[in-house]
Amino acid sequence: MKLDETITLLRQGKHVSEETVFVLCLRAQELLMNEANVTHVDTPVTICGDIHGQLHDLLTLFDKSGGVEHNKYIFLGDFVDRGFYSLESFLLLLCYKLRYPDRITMIRGNHETRQITKVYGFYDEIMRKYGNSNVWRYCCEVFDYLSLGAIINGRVFCVHGGLSPDVTTINQIRAIDRKQEVPHEGAMCDLLWSDPDEVNTWSLSPRGAGFLFGKNEVEQFLHTNDFELIARAHQLVMEGYKEMFDGGLVTVWSAPNYCYRCGNVAAVLRIEDTLDRNYMIFEAVPAQDDVGNAIIPTKKPQMDYFL
Amino acid sequence: MVNMTQDGVQETESKRVKVYVLEDNEWKDTGTGFCVGKISDVDGDGPAASVCEGKEGHLAAYLVVNDEGVPDKTLLWSKLEGNIEYQRQEETLIVWKDLSGQDIALSFEESTGCDALCDFIIQIQKTTESNISLIAVRSNDDGQGSVHEIITGPVNLPSNDPEQDDKSLMDALKILNENTAFEYLRTETMEFVLKNEYLLTLIHVFENAESKHALRELLLLSNIVKTLTLYNHRDVLEQMVDDDHIMGIVGILEYDTEFPFSKANHRDYLLQSGPHFKEVVPLKSDDIKNIIKKTYRLQFVKDVVLVRFLDDHSFNMISDVILDSQNCIIDFIQTEPFLEKVMALFEDDTELDTKRDGIRMLHQCVQITKNLEHAEKSRFFKALVRAGLFKIFDFAFGMETDSGIRILATDMVISIIEHDILLINTVQNEHLHQPNMLDQNQRQLLGPSSTLTQSAASSDISLLSILSQILVKDKNMGLKEQVVQALNTLLHPEGCLGADSDYNESGNMDIVMSLNDHRGNGSDSLMENLGFHMKEYFNNFYTQVAPVLFGPLIDDSYENADDDVLLIYLVKLISFIATEHNRRMSREFILENNILANISKLIASPHMLQLQLTAVRCLKGIACLNDEFYHRYMITMNLYQPIFDLLRKNLNEDNMVNSCLLDFFRTVSSQCLQAQELHSGESKNFIILNKHLVENFRNDLMAIDYVPFTQEMIRMYEADEEPYGLRIVEDKKTTTEKDAKRTFSEVSESLSTLADLKEGDVNLTFKRAMEKITAAPAHTSMEKDLLSNGS
Repeated sequence: MKLDETITLLRQGKHVSEETVFVLCLRAQELLMNEANVTHVDTPVTICGDIHGQLHDLLTLFDKSGGVEHNKYIFLGDFVDRGFYSLESFLLLLCYKLRYPDRITMIRGNHETRQITKVYGFYDEIMRKYGNSNVWRYCCEVFDYLSLGAIINGRVFCVHGGLSPDVTTINQIRAIDRKQEVPHEGAMCDLLWSDPDEVNTWSLSPRGAGFLFGKNEVEQFLHTNDFELIARAHQLVMEGYKEMFDGGLVTVWSAPNYCYRCGNVAAVLRIEDTLDRNYMIFEAVPAQDDVGNAIIPTKKPQMDYFL
Repeated sequence: MVNMTQDGVQETESKRVKVYVLEDNEWKDTGTGFCVGKISDVDGDGPAASVCEGKEGHLAAYLVVNDEGVPDKTLLWSKLEGNIEYQRQEETLIVWKDLSGQDIALSFEESTGCDALCDFIIQIQKTTESNISLIAVRSNDDGQGSVHEIITGPVNLPSNDPEQDDKSLMDALKILNENTAFEYLRTETMEFVLKNEYLLTLIHVFENAESKHALRELLLLSNIVKTLTLYNHRDVLEQMVDDDHIMGIVGILEYDTEFPFSKANHRDYLLQSGPHFKEVVPLKSDDIKNIIKKTYRLQFVKDVVLVRFLDDHSFNMISDVILDSQNCIIDFIQTEPFLEKVMALFEDDTELDTKRDGIRMLHQCVQITKNLEHAEKSRFFKALVRAGLFKIFDFAFGMETDSGIRILATDMVISIIEHDILLINTVQNEHLHQPNMLDQNQRQLLGPSSTLTQSAASSDISLLSILSQILVKDKNMGLKEQVVQALNTLLHPEGCLGADSDYNESGNMDIVMSLNDHRGNGSDSLMENLGFHMKEYFNNFYTQVAPVLFGPLIDDSYENADDDVLLIYLVKLISFIATEHNRRMSREFILENNILANISKLIASPHMLQLQLTAVRCLKGIACLNDEFYHRYMITMNLYQPIFDLLRKNLNEDNMVNSCLLDFFRTVSSQCLQAQELHSGESKNFIILNKHLVENFRNDLMAIDYVPFTQEMIRMYEADEEPYGLRIVEDKKTTTEKDAKRTFSEVSESLSTLADLKEGDVNLTFKRAMEKITAAPAHTSMEKDLLSNGS
C-alpha cells in the first residue's frame, strides 16, 4: 500500500478501495498494539478535541497548528459520527500515524464503538460509500486497539471523557484488556463517558453512562498522580475550550460549527516544554478541494436504485 | 329562524351573555341578555334605528345582544368591520375595541356559547370582512404571561406574480418566515402554496434569475424554498419532488447563502452522473414507478440537498414520508407476481449481469425493510423465502465468483436471520408439511437440483455448512467478516429457541405458533418440540459442520499470515460456542479434538500478535467458565505455558500484550480470592489454577512488581500451603491487613469482577448481544452533545 498516495486521496475526500482500508487497518492495529493503555508523550505537543468527521476542519486544524511534519499531536477521540467524512477523517489520522508514528497519538472516544456508530452516522456513511458494511467492521476493529489516555511529561493527563471512581492511579488502567467494545460500566466506560460538573462528589450522569465528577475528584486525582492538568474533550464548548476547577481541568473542542450548524469556534491546546498552555482558536472555513475549488460538505447520495 | 346570506354564513342561536364596556378604565356591566351573530342590512343602534337608506340590500354582520328581561331592549349592536381584532380570552370571554374606540367585552354563561360566536366571527372573516381577526389568549402553563394564537384573520401572503425582483422576494421571505409562527398562518400559507402553484411561480422566477445571473435573487429564492420546507407540510413536500417540480426545486437549492460563491450540482447529478432508475423486471404500474422515484428523490433531498439545513422536525417529516413510500414498495413487491419474476431470473440462462442486478435489487429491498415494523419485515422475508430465495443463494454461493455479489447475498442472509433465526426453516417447513399447497413452480424451487433446498427440517444445517465453507475457503476478507457474523447468529442457542421474552416479543412467538400450527401439536409440547429440534440442530452442527469449520484448529496445519486472520475468527468462535452452547456438547467437541491445545500453541510466534492475544483471551474465557473438566485439562496439558513465554517477552513493556496478560492474572487472583473467602468445595478450580501457576511460574509472577495482584496470587498460594490451623489465623490476619490497605477502587474493582462472573454463565453474553441488537442509542444524548457547553 502506498501510504502517501492514500493520504493524498483522503485529503481530497476521494474514494479509497476496500482492500486499501483493510490493509491500513491491519497495519494500524499492529502499531497500536505497541501502545500502552495510557501512553506517554513528550512536549511540545498539541492536544485536539472532538473531530466528528469534519474532514475539512481537520485539515484546517493541521494547517493552522503547524502540520504533522513538524509537530506532535494528541487526538482525544470522537473522530467519527455526525459529520459527513468520518471515514476520511479517521483514516487520515491512521495514515499520519503510520507515516509519522511518534507524532500522532489517538485516544478512543465514546463514539469509537460499534453500537454508537451504528446510530450516529458512521455506519450509514460506510453503507453509502461502499454499499456494504465491511469497511465499517474494519474500522471498528481498530477502535478496539486505540489507547484510553495519554500523559504528557508525566504532568498532563489526557482522556476523552473524564475520571472514574474506579481509577485512582494510572496503573489501575494498565490492567485493563482494552481490546473490546466499550463496556456499559466500569473504568474503561467512565474514562470515555464522564463529564466534569459543579458537583460535590461522584454523581449520576444524564448521559446514562459514566459519571459526573467535581472539583474534589479532580484535585484528588491530580494530587495522587502528581499531575497539574486533565485535558479532555467530549462536550461542545462554543468558545472552543473551557478551563474549570482553577485550571485543573480543560475541555478542548476541535469541531468548528459542529454538525455544520452550531456556530461554535474550535480550539486546540499546545503544551509547551515549560508546560505553558497555548490555545489556538480556529473557525470553520469553506472547504476546498486540491485545486482550490470550493466544496460544499454533504453526504454521498445513495447508490443505484432498482426495482 | 335561521337567516342565511348568499355566502352561506349562518346566523347563530342566541346565547346568554353579560355585556361590559370599558369606562374610565373600569369594566362596566351594562346588563345580561342573549347574544346572536346577525346578518342584517340594518345599521345603527338597534332594531328601532332607521334602515340605512342609501345602502339598502347591503348586508353586514353584527354581534347583537338583547336584554333578557326586556327583549326589545338592545344592549349591544356592534358591526364586524374594518380591522377589528377580537380576542377570545380563556373559555368564555370575547373582548374587542370597535372602530369608534369603545372597548367591549362579552362574558358568556357557557363556553359553548362563546364557541358559537367565535365560529361566527371566523365565518365572517373568511367571507366578507377579511381584515378582522380573532385571537385566542390563554394564560401560560406557569400562570405568568399569556399565549396568543391566531384563530383567524388576514394573512399576509407572498406575491405570486411571475415577474419578481429582489425586493418582492425579500418581502416573500419575510412573510413566509413570519407566518411560520402560528398554526393558522401556516395552514393558510400552505393552502396558498398548493392552490396557486406557488412553487411553479418560484421556479419560473428562478429560471429568469439564473439566466441573468441575479445572484441575490437566486439566494433569496433558495432561502424561500428552505423556509417552505420548515412548514413541514407533507403535500408541499411531495409536490417539490414530483416530476414537474424536482429539477426546479433542487436547482434553486443549488444556491446557498452559506456558500455564496459556489453552486452545488444537484440537477447535473440527477440528470446525468447520478444513478438511474433500473428495472430488473419491467414494472407495469406507473404508480409504483412514481413512488420509487419519489422515495429516491426525497432521500436525495434529505441526505444531500438539505442535509445541513433540516431541523429535527423536518428531518422526521421527510423520513416519515419516505417510510410510507417504502412500505408501499414492499407491499407492492409481495402482492404482484413480481417476486416470482425476479426469482425466475435465476432459473434459466439469463445473462449473468441481469442475475447480478437481480441480487443487487433484492439486497436493496432487504435494506429498505430495515426501517419497517417487525411484522412487516417478517411478512416480506417469508414471501422472499417462499418465492425461492434459496435459488439465489445457490447461485451466489455456488456459481457466482464476484465477491461483491456474494457479499450482498450474505448480507441478505444476515438481515433475515438476525431478524428471526427461525424464519427460513419455518417457511421451509411449510413446504414440507403442506405439500398439497405447493404449486408446480414451488415444487420446482424445492427440486433436487439444489443442495440448499434438499433438506428442510428445522434442524437443517445446510446454511451453516455453506457459510462455514465460505469462511474457511474464500479469500475475500470482507466476506469472511460477514460470514462470521452470520455464523454467530445462526449458532446462538437462545436465538434459535426464540422464546426468550426479552427478545423480539411479538415476532418469534408468532413464528413459533405457526410452526406449532403446522405440526398440529398442542402448545404444551411446543417447547419440548423446539427443544428436540434444537438438540438435533446442534448435534448436526457438531457432527457435520464443526469438524470442517474448525478444521484448521484440529489439523494444526495452518501457518501462513493470511490464515492468521481466519484463525482469529475461529478462535473467537470457539470462545463463543464454549460459552453459549450446551456445555456438555461443546466441551466434548473441544476437548476430543484437542482444540485448546492447538489454541495454546497459537500464543507464540510466528503468529501475528492479534492472534496470539485472541488465543490468550480464549483460554482466559474458558477458565472463567469455572468448569472442572476444562480446568483439569488445561492444567494437565500445561496450556498456560505459552502465556508465560509471552509474558517474559513483554514483562517490562507497557503495551497491549502486557495489559492483556495483567488482566488474566487479575482475573485469576480475584477469582481465587473469592473461592478462598467462600471456603466452598465447589469452587476449587481457581485455587487449583492459582496453585498450578504459582508452582510453575513463580518467578515470572514475582517479576511483575507494578501491580498488586500477582504478589497476591503468591500470597494466597502460600496461605493455602500452610498447615491448616495456622492457616486460618494467618488468613484472617492477612485479610484484615489487606482490607485495611486496599483502596476503595481496588475493592470495588474486585467486586465488579465478582459480579461479572456471577452473571457470567450462559446469559451474560447473550444479554449483551441482545443489547447490541436492540442498540438503544440511550447513551448519547443528542441535546447534551450538541448543546451542553460543559457548565
